[in-house]
Amino acid sequence: MNKRLKNSLISLALIIAAVLVGIFTTNKPVKSSSSSDRTQIVFWHELGGASEDALEEVVNGFNKSQSKYEVVPKYQGSYDEAIQKILQTHGTSTSPAVFQAFDIATAQMIHSKYTTPVQNFIDKDPSFDIEKIAPAARSFYSNGGKQQAMPFNTSQPVLYYNASLLKKYKITPPPVSPTYSDITRVAQQLYERSGHKTKGMTVQIYGWLLEQATTNAGTALANNNNGHTGIPTAIDMDNPSTVKFLEWIHENIKSGDFINYGSGASAGANQTAGFLAEKVGIFIQSSASIGELTANNKDKLGITYFPHPDGQKANGVSIGGAALWISNDKPKAVQQGAYEFAKYALSPAVQAQWQKSTGYLALNKDSQKEKILKDLYAKNPEAKVPGQQLADAKPNYVNSGILLEGMQVTRQLEEVAMEESYNGGDIHKALKKATKNVNQNITISNRANGYK
Amino acid sequence: MLKSTTPTVVGSETKAKTKHRTFSLNAKDKYYAVLFLGPSLLILSVFVFYPMLRTLYISMFLTNTLGKTTVFNGLGNYTDLLGSPEYIASLGSTLVYVFAVTVLTVGIGLLLANLASKRLPGIGIFRTLYSVTMGVSVSVAAIFWLFIFNPSTGFFALLSNMLGLPVLNWLTDPTMAMWAVIITTVWMNLGFTFLILLGAISAVPTTLYEAASIEGASERRQFFKITVPMISPTLFFVSTITLIEGFKSFGLIDLITKGGPTNSTNMLVYRIYKDAFYSGNYAQASSEAIILTVIIAFFTFLQFKFLEKRVNY
Repeated sequence: MNKRLKNSLISLALIIAAVLVGIFTTNKPVKSSSSSDRTQIVFWHELGGASEDALEEVVNGFNKSQSKYEVVPKYQGSYDEAIQKILQTHGTSTSPAVFQAFDIATAQMIHSKYTTPVQNFIDKDPSFDIEKIAPAARSFYSNGGKQQAMPFNTSQPVLYYNASLLKKYKITPPPVSPTYSDITRVAQQLYERSGHKTKGMTVQIYGWLLEQATTNAGTALANNNNGHTGIPTAIDMDNPSTVKFLEWIHENIKSGDFINYGSGASAGANQTAGFLAEKVGIFIQSSASIGELTANNKDKLGITYFPHPDGQKANGVSIGGAALWISNDKPKAVQQGAYEFAKYALSPAVQAQWQKSTGYLALNKDSQKEKILKDLYAKNPEAKVPGQQLADAKPNYVNSGILLEGMQVTRQLEEVAMEESYNGGDIHKALKKATKNVNQNITISNRANGYK
Repeated sequence: MLKSTTPTVVGSETKAKTKHRTFSLNAKDKYYAVLFLGPSLLILSVFVFYPMLRTLYISMFLTNTLGKTTVFNGLGNYTDLLGSPEYIASLGSTLVYVFAVTVLTVGIGLLLANLASKRLPGIGIFRTLYSVTMGVSVSVAAIFWLFIFNPSTGFFALLSNMLGLPVLNWLTDPTMAMWAVIITTVWMNLGFTFLILLGAISAVPTTLYEAASIEGASERRQFFKITVPMISPTLFFVSTITLIEGFKSFGLIDLITKGGPTNSTNMLVYRIYKDAFYSGNYAQASSEAIILTVIIAFFTFLQFKFLEKRVNY
């Protein structure tokens, strides 16, 4: 190839590359001519798939409902990574005005002092009645008597079972708030009566579930009341409640009715596939999975509360999901707009539609009066169960989440302990090891952050 | 490979030249030196040297929730890491993974390349088939293998059920998960390795084989005494690349096991990513990055030192 041809080819390639980069990386939101005088509210979120479509509907609804603000949604990937992006861009022009941060980043967000508590806006707004919002969800995102963030997409861990299979093998379904032995009974009967074709149950290796089991048994994992009365300095995983939970799983592994799908996103997908294919009869998962489990299910879906240990009352589980936070690095008008959006997102009709299209729970009490939800419950009565579980929970320090920084690492270590115990390891040993590692992290993190 | 021999030769030459030039570097030379080296030095400083030094700096501090360095910790992060059984386990599993991937990729690649180098009718189909994984993206490969490994509905599970064998827990058993990741990586790497080795084998002069056949050497003997020595530079290149790629492996692990179960596939690079961008522990992640750099440099050095000597150029 002669030199000139080569050079011109190279420059051509560079030009094409530059044009492509220009086309595909335009960061500016597409503005419609009518919205040019509106205040832009950049909104970072982490919802993909069907939930993202539903979220865009909420945003469009808000943009149409008024003419002062325009919310621009931007998808930011996974919850964990988004937190780092939010913290690292704060104070720059790229940072969001309002963002979605997941449950376990609450302590991090509060301590960062990068946000304006929504309480400040609520106090000045007589038209908004915070009492209408589910108490368990509110208490999760409040601190020092102030509502720090607006609870948004909220789920509950619930127990799903295959009602058709239970009926086929004449097994009495589990009661509304089942004990561990209630579930063991159903799991074992299902495994035996199906001629070992269907495994009884699974519990995904997921730190959230271990925390919820401990919470439902009334035990706080972290000291200082799970961090609600001070920065936690230690956690104790080797407590009777967590031990009982793992012993319950051990018992089912031993009798052969348990199947382990492992940890991570693939485990979630595999167990759902297994459940829909009648390979396993019972599993625990976020209530947000209801849509997926009813749409593609040839069997009837059964739902009941998260189980609790025998011989005691359930304390109620805490919520999962994420909340809307307002950044304090934006002008007042922008922050006000962010609040207006959060308020709109929690209005009764929006929440009712939100529950129907995503499976996340309607947090506004008045949503239950909306026709959308009444129709939904008439068609699928079991869809009511997660909302009832949420309404039943009396908020206390134990079930209002763990206000601990570094919950992401803690979850990983919890999952290692679960894995070790599922693979036949000693429960106390696994939990002691996890406790030691988590506490080491807490000490270092408190030192780095200057907490005494 | 020419590339690997030249550094020593060129290196000594340039050394001599620069020594000679330092005394006679006139203004014009200086001007050109700045003109030509400046831009690349600038880019390297901004995107390579500064991040490297910054990583080293952060690794000696503790970072707070906001990712800012707060407390000077000296070598504390390093001693904490090297004293933690989890990190040592991670290091061990990385070595197992890298070793297995390198040996299997190069071994199977060599076998396939040798088979495909035979001049037979229809061999083109096999050449295409063996190299086809080059065109598969990591995410597609991961999803494809996840379907195969699914314990309820996956291909392996169905096969085991049909043959009446117990279903293996590919992704939930720590040892099996390691194998699952190794198999997937080897499968992914095979196309590239195969193609490079096939090219090398085709370049071996046929006269050598003809002479050997006349002497009565068996196919096997020809393979070990002619093919392998003749393509040894390529083998060296491929194994170095596979080894380094193995250490840096990320995509498949993220998509298939996310480092689990029980951290059994939590390799060094994946760990760095998780500690930094999931947990926000930038100090620890930086220390891990420095340790990984040292390890890769060490293995590359070993390979050049010992393997290169056995290479027949």
